[in-house]
Amino acid sequence: MISLIGFSSLCLSIIFSLALLIPNSILKINIKFFLLIFRFSTILVCISFLSLVLAYINSDFSNFNVFQNSHSEKPFIYKISGAWGNHEGSILLWLCMISIYGFLFSLSSNSLDDFKINVLKIQSTLFIIFAFFIIFTSNPFLVNSILVNEGLGLNPILQDPALAIHPPTLYLGYVGFSLVFSLAIASLFNKKEDKNWIYETKKWSIVSWTFLTAGIALGSYWAYYELGWGGWWFWDPVENISLMPWIVGLALVHSLIMIRGEQIIERWIVFLSILCFSLSILGTFLVRSGILTSVHSFASDASRGLFILLIFFLTTGFGFLIFLIKPPKNNNNLNLLLINKTSALIINNILMIIAMLTILLGTIYPIIIEVMTNTRISVGGPYFNSTVLPVLLPGFLLMSIAPVLSWQSNKIKKFKVYVVFFLILSFVVFLHSYLTVFNTWGFIGLILGSWIILSSTISIVLRYKFVISFNYIKSINSFIAHIGVGIMIIGITFSSVYQKEYNFNISEGEEVKINENILKFEKLYLTEEKNYQSLRALFRLTKEDKLINYIMPGKNYYPVSKMITTEAGIYHDWLKDFYITLGSEDNNIWSISVYINPLVSFIWIGVFIMIFSGVIAIFKK
Amino acid sequence: MKFQYFFKYIFCFYFILSSESVLSNDKVDFKVKELTLELRCMTCQNQSVYDSDSDFAKDIKNVVKDKFQEGLNQKEIKHFLTERYGEYILFKPYFNTKNLFLWLFPFILLVFSIGFFIKKLKNN
Repeated sequence: MISLIGFSSLCLSIIFSLALLIPNSILKINIKFFLLIFRFSTILVCISFLSLVLAYINSDFSNFNVFQNSHSEKPFIYKISGAWGNHEGSILLWLCMISIYGFLFSLSSNSLDDFKINVLKIQSTLFIIFAFFIIFTSNPFLVNSILVNEGLGLNPILQDPALAIHPPTLYLGYVGFSLVFSLAIASLFNKKEDKNWIYETKKWSIVSWTFLTAGIALGSYWAYYELGWGGWWFWDPVENISLMPWIVGLALVHSLIMIRGEQIIERWIVFLSILCFSLSILGTFLVRSGILTSVHSFASDASRGLFILLIFFLTTGFGFLIFLIKPPKNNNNLNLLLINKTSALIINNILMIIAMLTILLGTIYPIIIEVMTNTRISVGGPYFNSTVLPVLLPGFLLMSIAPVLSWQSNKIKKFKVYVVFFLILSFVVFLHSYLTVFNTWGFIGLILGSWIILSSTISIVLRYKFVISFNYIKSINSFIAHIGVGIMIIGITFSSVYQKEYNFNISEGEEVKINENILKFEKLYLTEEKNYQSLRALFRLTKEDKLINYIMPGKNYYPVSKMITTEAGIYHDWLKDFYITLGSEDNNIWSISVYINPLVSFIWIGVFIMIFSGVIAIFKK
Repeated sequence: MKFQYFFKYIFCFYFILSSESVLSNDKVDFKVKELTLELRCMTCQNQSVYDSDSDFAKDIKNVVKDKFQEGLNQKEIKHFLTERYGEYILFKPYFNTKNLFLWLFPFILLVFSIGFFIKKLKNN
């Protein structure tokens, strides 16, 4: 019953959206009525999605999708998250968000009526395309042909708090770019000189980018504690795919700052907007078609892949076609100097695009080679580390001073202060590297990260007085964001370069020495949880006979899907993480891996600061 | 003008540093780690041999260790492994004609855009 409601409201919302596309020449709809229909369609598609969620909550196994991905004994939160823990449900969520973004736009926008209608028409078109995709290839409301009392269960690896909210957050990012896409295309149809679309684009691209950042961070945090591989970024194809719209979104957000009335930058913004959403769709295609091997390759189907490829070509082709046939109205040159703000931003954009293209190439190159020469190759972490990082390095260097550059001239106020501080910093970092183990990447990362933090702090101190008010925070927002990046760079550098790994074979009651710490394997616990058995090893970490903390790595066994998941035990300290994973057992002797990951917390702090300044920027006029 | 010099120095500094090779360590374990991090565990999902605990990964780790002790170098071991498992096992593809585009593309792009940028700059 509930599935029927879901399906029919989905169909109704498609019909309403189709009605919105009737050209004005046939049927003239006034703006109020137009908005009403659009919002009504949004409400309908939300009802459709909520009824799927309800079917999951009620464990309604007459729905085939619920039967395949749920189980009545799952905890409540994973019943809800199960609704988007599979291909069909997640695409419905995606669809729902396309509509919600349009809805929010229709409520908040001060644009001219014509422009508003154009944006919503394009948004509706995207909605209809994806809705057809759902109905023809991925319907979550199919009826189960057999009568069953129990479902097959959700993949245990997805039963985790971070992963429950990871997909919706990520999708809010990906799908937000659909609105940015619509805004860009609609701006090409603008007859009057109306610059309002730039403000709209700014707002929505920052919203999407912030959500995307949060979504990616959640994913990698999950990978850190759940996969038990000791790291948090693996250059997995799906990670790469999420990184591409993220990078282009970052370029977009930055080029929106450049607007000084130059036509060429407006063109560039439109181009980036179209590219962002195209990459989001391309990512979906690569993941869902199953042509890439990845930890995310759940649900793969060739026919779906073809359909998404069609959507990709349709939207991208259409978008870029309009972009090309609508010529720029007038052309004025940019004020480029070595080195002012405009040129710094342009270099930033160029480097971002190169990084994105490199990631794209590395991700799809194995496919190209397999098709052309019939040999399989892998392109993994080592490739990206040695190509993307060198490309980004000058960008990071530039970033440290970019916010203080001027628009008109190539002079920097208080230039000497920066040079002095840079020299002092270099000396300190050099001394530090000299006294500890020298590592090239460690040195570069440390000096870059700390220089970015230092120069941003100097700028804040030099240019503004300390009055804590919202306006003040807004005015130093770009510095705050860059401090976040600096902190993150230090975290990334230290956790990857100076990670220490120890392997032990140890039985209950024994202890091992790690540097000045003593790790004692106290006890092994086996407990029955609601839908899994949990095995935990209790470790006591002490330093000079003082207890630091208990760490409990372990494994979970999920009887429904007969799967074992590893659960890393982590003790978070501001300066380092003690990270333990429990390996295999042989005659009551357990093999464990202990990682000491320095400054991992900096990565999350840095990301948090970036998200914070993203939120602040949304409210910035 | 001062500013340009400042940048030149920073860039020189950076290139000197990056051209220097990472500390060499003679220990076999270190070599094994270095190499196995670049090998794909064929039975896992996108995990390196070094990080994996699967039987396949354990075998490969042992093979690599033995080969190092026999006196083979990294290149020879890679060659040995790709003969058995195909190039798919390497996370860092060979620099050969087939992968030329993969390796050169980012840097060609970089050079071109620098050239383009400088040209634009001169026009101003």
